[in-house]
Amino acid sequence: MNFFRISREVLCTDMNNSLLVTRPNHDSATNYLYHWTEPVIDEAKRKHIPLYDLKEDKATKKIFLSYLQSKRPGFLFLNGHGDAQTVTGQNYDVLLDKTVNKDFIFDTIIYARSCDSGKILGNTLVQHGVSAFIGYTRKFIVGTTRSNITKPLNDPLAKLFLEPSNLIPTTILKGHTAGVADRRSKQEMLKNFQKMISSAGSFEERYAARWLWSDIRSQVVIGDQNASINS
Amino acid sequence: MTDKTLDQLKLTEEEKNKLKELVLARLTVMPQEISISIGDKNLDKKALTEHVQSEDEIGKQMMEMDLEFLQDLARGAMYGHE
Repeated sequence: MNFFRISREVLCTDMNNSLLVTRPNHDSATNYLYHWTEPVIDEAKRKHIPLYDLKEDKATKKIFLSYLQSKRPGFLFLNGHGDAQTVTGQNYDVLLDKTVNKDFIFDTIIYARSCDSGKILGNTLVQHGVSAFIGYTRKFIVGTTRSNITKPLNDPLAKLFLEPSNLIPTTILKGHTAGVADRRSKQEMLKNFQKMISSAGSFEERYAARWLWSDIRSQVVIGDQNASINS
Repeated sequence: MTDKTLDQLKLTEEEKNKLKELVLARLTVMPQEISISIGDKNLDKKALTEHVQSEDEIGKQMMEMDLEFLQDLARGAMYGHE
């Protein structure tokens, strides 16, 4: 075992099963993610999982990095905008990119509910020591109904997209692996999709079904499928 | 499973124009009540149509999505997806 390995092990002795959530809220898209993260936060609280909820103005790079450094959360659930190389926080502040200190993210599981992060960033971070990265290889899509735009949790169309994606963090919080979380989420999306295209689906749902299909197709796990917060 | 971008699909100009026509035709029946949250935008029927017309990044993704959906539908992937 070389010094590099030893130093990493020493650094990671503080790694724990806590959850760090980022949820900016500065436009319609982030507003939906902000509110739909609440059921996950409630689940973490019910399970007494240590939780660091960086919401709105707290979702900045400075605060995010300080929590990574001091709390060493084992699971990062990031909501927001992004592209192939970044995930952003409040007002597009870049929270995570390839320049992040590798020791801060070593052995973590990351779920980035943002656009395109599965294209490049996920692979880069896994090379930096992240055990598993779940993200999307294209833009993450949510179908919305205009009459519910100001009350996202009451939006029945958005529910079909965001409830299955919430299964990723809640499954991981139950101690299951990243691979299982991804599969459960996709199974639920598929179930919703099949309902949407069936005669039971409304015209709006049938129209929006292919948007959900895009999310199913673009959701990826990079790294160790067997990674869990218990491993 | 492939997840190719429109540019990677290497469609001929004619094929791309037909796909665009198809996507635009489908957008004409998009319900007014729904919109799509994609990237940092929430787009209604009119805005989506403009993105497809201009073939920008969002417009191209809409075209890719529709093509992929139709291909998957044709091969029955929606009923056998993991």
